[in-house]
Amino acid sequence: MATQRPDRFDQVNWEEITGSGRFSLSLNTKGFLATVVLLAAIALYDWQVLDERTATFEPVGLAVDIPILDYMFAFTLLLFAFYVVLPLYQHPRLTKYYWKEFKRNRPAVISLGWLVVVFFVGLVGPLLVRSPEQNVLHSYQPPVYLSINSANAATCLGEVANGRCFGTWQYPLGTTRAGKGVLGMLVNGFGITLKVGFISTLIAVTLGATVGTVSAYAGGYVDEILMRYVDIQASWPTLIMYLLIIYTFGGSLWLLVLLLGIFSWEGMARYVRSKALSISEEEYIKATSMSGASFFRIVRRHVIPNSASSIITDITLLIPGFLLAEAQLSFLGLGDSSIDSWGQIIAGGRDALAFAPWIVLAPGLVLFLTILAFNFVGDALLDALNPEAAAEAER
Amino acid sequence: MGFARYVTARVAWAGAVTFIIMSVTFLFIAFAPNPDVQRAATQAALQGGDPAEAVERAKELRGLDEPLDVRYFDFVTSIATLQWGWSNMRSQPVTTALLEGLYYTAQYSIPWTLLTVTIGPFVGLYSSANKYSWRDHVATGFAFFGYAIPNFFFAIILLLVFGVWLEWVPVIYRTDVPVFSVQNAVQLALPVFVLVTGSIGGLMRVSRNESSEYMNADFVKTARAKGVSPLRAYALHILRPTMVPLSTTMVGQLLLLFAGSSLLVEVVFSIPGLGRLLFEATLAQDTNLVLGSVLVFVFVAVIGNLIQDITYTLLDPRISYEDR
Repeated sequence: MATQRPDRFDQVNWEEITGSGRFSLSLNTKGFLATVVLLAAIALYDWQVLDERTATFEPVGLAVDIPILDYMFAFTLLLFAFYVVLPLYQHPRLTKYYWKEFKRNRPAVISLGWLVVVFFVGLVGPLLVRSPEQNVLHSYQPPVYLSINSANAATCLGEVANGRCFGTWQYPLGTTRAGKGVLGMLVNGFGITLKVGFISTLIAVTLGATVGTVSAYAGGYVDEILMRYVDIQASWPTLIMYLLIIYTFGGSLWLLVLLLGIFSWEGMARYVRSKALSISEEEYIKATSMSGASFFRIVRRHVIPNSASSIITDITLLIPGFLLAEAQLSFLGLGDSSIDSWGQIIAGGRDALAFAPWIVLAPGLVLFLTILAFNFVGDALLDALNPEAAAEAER
Repeated sequence: MGFARYVTARVAWAGAVTFIIMSVTFLFIAFAPNPDVQRAATQAALQGGDPAEAVERAKELRGLDEPLDVRYFDFVTSIATLQWGWSNMRSQPVTTALLEGLYYTAQYSIPWTLLTVTIGPFVGLYSSANKYSWRDHVATGFAFFGYAIPNFFFAIILLLVFGVWLEWVPVIYRTDVPVFSVQNAVQLALPVFVLVTGSIGGLMRVSRNESSEYMNADFVKTARAKGVSPLRAYALHILRPTMVPLSTTMVGQLLLLFAGSSLLVEVVFSIPGLGRLLFEATLAQDTNLVLGSVLVFVFVAVIGNLIQDITYTLLDPRISYEDR
């Protein structure tokens, strides 16, 4: 704990720092394990005890069901909380330094604000706003203060003036052809965006970091084979492959999330490998390994933290790619049509574009802003986390 | 290892990559359920026949009853001899269908690529020469905008504004106009603009950041002191080292857009190019056509990576062949 550490070297309590034994766990790991065991218990109960049609929390009187994807999402959220947010809180001095560096880029601060909004709306929104129901009588209602030719809206909920139908507060962003409120769909889309972003990223980072370190440390044939595979994956036309796979197996969201994660880690693996290679030559690593540190300890304490800056910047470029791929596949009609992702709303509103442009514009703008925000934040993080890498990682 | 040997090794590797990707695609399609066979079974069951027998017949008709290794060998020989089979969807040989698609794809891809490659680095260079001026901010803003806006969404919006509301461009792509005509230029203006906007941002950023490193480098100061004109200093002394990292980004960006967004753009603008051909072939499960068009995309990607690696070594003689 940085906060409790005394300032003077001779006052350092070595017992406390080295820990009592091999299996002493940090607070983060303890908290993480405790919550994950709880999550796993719920998942196991859901899977083994309850039959498929019973909602997860029905025995306690709540009609809330947890689909498989949400378990994965909860798992990534726990990882994020215990290994990203909590460490930032535990090391206030470092956090303050990062924030000072980050703050210099004003667009990035605004962008971070937007991403925080996306995070909380995506987390809480779907719980509060249920996915809108179809209502054929309410089709093509315009957003508030805007109007539409009455010929296009079968029934008008608001005022009608000069043959134009005006929007109402019942549907602040208008409705689709099926009469679903665009705002409600959009809020649910935030949740889906969050799931796609978090879970795919976790898969990509896990695979990339593992392959990168294994490749660097194993060397020889293993290194050669893994890196050649990375080359192949890099020249693979990914969107085309998604097209083939999703067309064959159906476009469920979890399959898409899995595909996005599995086929996007090649850049990460290269970064981590080169970082691990350059670190293993350093004097302090030699000293650490000579003092008896295990392979895993070196990887966990030195390789991963040292490549963290490139991993994090790579993540800010990966997530927009995931969101874009999801939207593109949905637009081609290959996504999961039962969910209200932003891409699905755009795809659904395309036919009515000429007279009801809000259906396409609202999710499109939100998608654009989110991708833009990730780019700005990535740019600023690059400068804040590792000033040296600024020029290098732009490649 | 000499340059010739390096290039030979790279070309051999490119061939191997193409081969591996094609094999995986073949295996994937071979193990996926074939819609024709299923249709035959359903039909037989409806007409009171034996579904199992109908499946056998349908498989025999399409040569699917052979063992996998025989089919795979057939597949490899047919690819090598450029006999890519018959497309049921288009009722024409696959190669003819692909050439027709390529004809339309090339019409917008060539202008788009040329514009990106020429404008991107120069705007970036200009930005870094006038760093933090309002022009630099405008260029940076444009770069981020182009980078972040989803291409297909941008295309839809532009088509709505210029095609539907202003009626400046036709909404439906016309294939009957000559290639070099004003009408064709007008109808291709929007797709080219969308793709240039999407690809130029990354190039501008990289060339700006890379070239700003060299703006005040010692060798540039020396060149200026010796009386080299500013234009020559920018073009030869700054752009040359900038091009080394830039070439990687350039090929990467172009390939990414070619294999990804061009499909979407073709769907939005209803251009009957390669991307749409692949998409429609996938929907119609026209196996031969799917394999053929995937091969074209893989080929472009692999050749692009090959060109990138070779230009990399040509531009920067310090990169040794052994390290790569």
